[in-house]
Amino acid sequence: MTTTAGLPREVMGAMDARLSMPYTLTAGAATGVFLAELAQQRIVGTRCSACETIRVPAQDFCGDCGGDAHDLVIVPPSGDLLAWTVTDQGTVALVLLDGTDIPFLHQVVEGDPAALSMGARVTAVWAAEPQGAVMDLMGFALAPSEPVHAVEEAGETATPIEQLNYQMVLDYQHAYGHFYGSLFDGIKNDRRIRGVRCPSCRNVLVPPRAYCEACFVRTGDWVDVPDTGVLQACSVVHIEFIGQRVPPPYVYAEIVLDGTSTRLIHTVGGLSAEALRSGSVHPGSRVQAVWSDRRTGSLSDIDFFKVIDGPADE
Amino acid sequence: MTQIAIVGTGQTVHSRRRLDVSQAGLAREAVTEALLDAGLGMDDIDAVVVASGPAMFGSVNQPEKWLVDALGARYKPVVRVTSGGGTGLAGALQAMNQIKAGLARRVLVVAYDKLSEGALQASISTLYDPFWGREFAVGIMGFSAAYWRARMDKLGHTEEAAAMVSVKNRKNAMLNPKAHVKKEVTVEEVLASKPLCWPIKLLDVPPISDGACAVILAAEDDAAAITDRPAWIRGMAYYSEADNGPNRSMLQSVPLKVAAARVYQNAGVTNPRRQFDVAELQEPYTCFELSYYEGLGLCPEGGAAELIASGATEMSGDIPVNPSGGCMGANPIGATALIRLAEAAMQVTGKAGAHQIGGAELALVQAGGGWANLRGVAVVGATKD
Amino acid sequence: MGTDMKNRAAVVGSAQTEFRGAWSDRQHVDLITQAVSQALLGTGLRMADVDFVIDSGSDFLDGRSISNCGFLGAMGAHHKEESRVEEDGLWSAVYATTKILAGSGSVGLVVAYSKSSESDPRNFWSTLAEPFTQRPVGLDQHSAAGLYAQRYLARYGIDPEALRAVSDRAWAAASDNSWVDAKHAMLADPYWEEFVATPLRRRDMARPVDGAVALVVAAEHVARQVTNRPVWITGMGSAIDQHFLAARDATSFPAAAAAAANAFRMSGASSARDFDVVEVSAGSTVGELMVLEAIGLAEPGRAMDLYAPGSAPGLNASGGSLPADVVMATGLVRLHEVASQLGGRSAHGPTGATTGLAHGAGGIGMQNHCVVTLETS
Repeated sequence: MTTTAGLPREVMGAMDARLSMPYTLTAGAATGVFLAELAQQRIVGTRCSACETIRVPAQDFCGDCGGDAHDLVIVPPSGDLLAWTVTDQGTVALVLLDGTDIPFLHQVVEGDPAALSMGARVTAVWAAEPQGAVMDLMGFALAPSEPVHAVEEAGETATPIEQLNYQMVLDYQHAYGHFYGSLFDGIKNDRRIRGVRCPSCRNVLVPPRAYCEACFVRTGDWVDVPDTGVLQACSVVHIEFIGQRVPPPYVYAEIVLDGTSTRLIHTVGGLSAEALRSGSVHPGSRVQAVWSDRRTGSLSDIDFFKVIDGPADE
Repeated sequence: MTQIAIVGTGQTVHSRRRLDVSQAGLAREAVTEALLDAGLGMDDIDAVVVASGPAMFGSVNQPEKWLVDALGARYKPVVRVTSGGGTGLAGALQAMNQIKAGLARRVLVVAYDKLSEGALQASISTLYDPFWGREFAVGIMGFSAAYWRARMDKLGHTEEAAAMVSVKNRKNAMLNPKAHVKKEVTVEEVLASKPLCWPIKLLDVPPISDGACAVILAAEDDAAAITDRPAWIRGMAYYSEADNGPNRSMLQSVPLKVAAARVYQNAGVTNPRRQFDVAELQEPYTCFELSYYEGLGLCPEGGAAELIASGATEMSGDIPVNPSGGCMGANPIGATALIRLAEAAMQVTGKAGAHQIGGAELALVQAGGGWANLRGVAVVGATKD
Repeated sequence: MGTDMKNRAAVVGSAQTEFRGAWSDRQHVDLITQAVSQALLGTGLRMADVDFVIDSGSDFLDGRSISNCGFLGAMGAHHKEESRVEEDGLWSAVYATTKILAGSGSVGLVVAYSKSSESDPRNFWSTLAEPFTQRPVGLDQHSAAGLYAQRYLARYGIDPEALRAVSDRAWAAASDNSWVDAKHAMLADPYWEEFVATPLRRRDMARPVDGAVALVVAAEHVARQVTNRPVWITGMGSAIDQHFLAARDATSFPAAAAAAANAFRMSGASSARDFDVVEVSAGSTVGELMVLEAIGLAEPGRAMDLYAPGSAPGLNASGGSLPADVVMATGLVRLHEVASQLGGRSAHGPTGATTGLAHGAGGIGMQNHCVVTLETS
């Protein structure tokens, strides 16, 4: 190992990462009925069994007093506009529907927001093709002559919509910073793996970092690390799951590169189906990086680690 | 210093998928049962601690903000503590400190997860550093299996020994009315079950559950007024470890040992195997229960396989572990740690019903999360000291 | 609530990184270690003296689950007791102080950070909303602030243009705060004049920034050893409102009032007027006005008076959260500011101040509030 200067030749900026995950969310009984009834162009609210407050959308419990809010009521699709705000997601509004106690948060659609006034009468605007979601009620529009209607007991209601399918997509640009930037710049351009040495405990840390966790002291010299090491632990991944980037089966590997004291997470490859099945790769095996043709500046620049001959670590 | 007791516990009946309630409604069910158990109403509660698994499990960020309405907690102090699978214990520790500090007399801790709502392994894989291994992860199953494999070589934690954990806990779950999975298995069936991340096989893995748990803690004098059967918390600690620091010990958990040492000292425990009547340990995979036997001093290092084989940790043994069935019976991850604490309280107060360990007076609780680097321990007793 | 504290706790050190719109060449861990090491510096305490760490950050902002797990070493939490409080960092400070008062430790480290530049912070806010009926209709921090603002301004007959006094004062103060990259002249850019949620413009909204802050809380016996000017924590309170914005009070923050009342009961204060230094968090200009009224610094509808030239010199001398909102850390930054000013470690704020109040908030439309009071002798 030799000590080298640690400045990357190019600035590694940020790595794009996307978390995209599917959900099957359950709304609960009252909100489920509320969502289902929108297809019939009916707005369902609840009356709290304890404080008698009527709120829309229907809720299983009352946020005012914590009571059960089980009595379903049909609320008229008309009311007074209490407040609105024009945003890039539309005109978000609070409407006090006739006969209710708690305003309803939704949108004002149609017309010029400049024509809105506090207290204006509004009425519901319905989607032509209901999807089983809150936007089946597209929102509210001005209706100056709309008379005041009364709340009615619900009677028979539609079967609640139990499940809402939802895809949450979150995009990130994770900064490399100096330490990861230096590491991945070296990996990308020179096929060099570099760590830092803690001046206190003398251990070499990969990935490199500003502080040694154990000593909480600023790390010192940069250190070149070989692409060989010992398989500290391994398992054979057979299952498939969303977001997986390597097709199973593969060997999940935690590797301690020679001279270092930290875990590098990768896979062991070049194994026969039989070797994978029997789990014959074992902790203590010597391994070496097999570099890819790709130069991405990430751990993917190593295709996998291969088992090599050598004295096993004990 | 004020002693603190558990004066009420509640759990949902855990299940694969609750279509009839929202995440908030699920938490409410457990709270309602805990309040009933304590004979209290929300007006009697000074503060609430919400403990849930990683928020990405359920797509709702800071879910305590949503749960407030379901908990009837408007205008109360509500704080969320999150610490992966051990979060329920971390939440209970927060509540204990509020009472010890004299800032609250009664604190409600509620923990839940509705795992049927999301893609679990994908969510757990987001634990990984985005630069460092996320693309190879399988939740933390690959990681857990890898170090089981290493312990197999060094400590003799064989596949058979782990299978016995599955057999024992699944059998115990048959007696627990709240358990999600009630199906007995044999060692042979566990060994022959489908490999997921070998050596972890299907029957080494707990179910994916919807469930919630609530526990009410109260100060010493108050506890005695609320119930004639308080469960006294004799010690609790929750320690962490840097996930990729130098020379991290992966065979024995240092934070577990540190937490256990501190809690045992507080509780006057010098011989855990002899002194504890029962233990509730959070085993996200069977292999972890073996490892905890050693880390908690129930047997010497390398003695776990022998301990499980001896039958000592069965219901009829001298140190029954997980009479509730543990995670193998139900695993709503964010609630799992608090369920362990609630079950321990039920044991020392004689409220555990069909899975009661006769005469249990001192119970051990363990829970943890993250990269096996967050580790908590608690001791619960029928008496204050 | 017990008010007779057997133990006392003090802030003995605190530090922040510079707050910038984007720290694009730093990772979370870099910002965290910088704040943590600086907070310990000057106290004479070493990391080995720290008994526990309580921290605030967001999985959603960080883009990783249980994100504290990845930052434990950077926070100095290795082999210590640690807890993640996934609220604004002021709640972490309350937990740390609680542990000291409970006798569970003598020295606690509190850490909070955010790098909202690594993602679209709107996702952080919109995912706070119930996903069935609230999130899909466009509820986020902007629309929530707009709805409060319209009703507040209408009720009290205030011209939206008058709000310029609030943002101008905040940004002018930030210009004098070398720890914040905001400069008053930046507001001249038309970008800040755009309406983002009528009647509010971008200049009315808290500006997300990157940064970290750390604070050392110690028990009395340690505090007296390491500093001759301990800043005692005299009161703490928090309270949350219901989730549905539509069901909350239209023009006031009762949860903020309840949080303040709890803190005042503990410290023996009667209102925020009793404090020399006040630092509050807010998501918007109108949100800031409503907080000031809730904690009793102004009568309902009169908080604008505090922005008249020369008034309230001890209020948000740092610039507050409008020019620099370190999303998960903003409340802890307020505490750091108050403690620094009282402890004689700050370049800004009124001279001779001995009492102070820090406020933090969380949730859409500032659903959750926390108040901490401090005193030095």
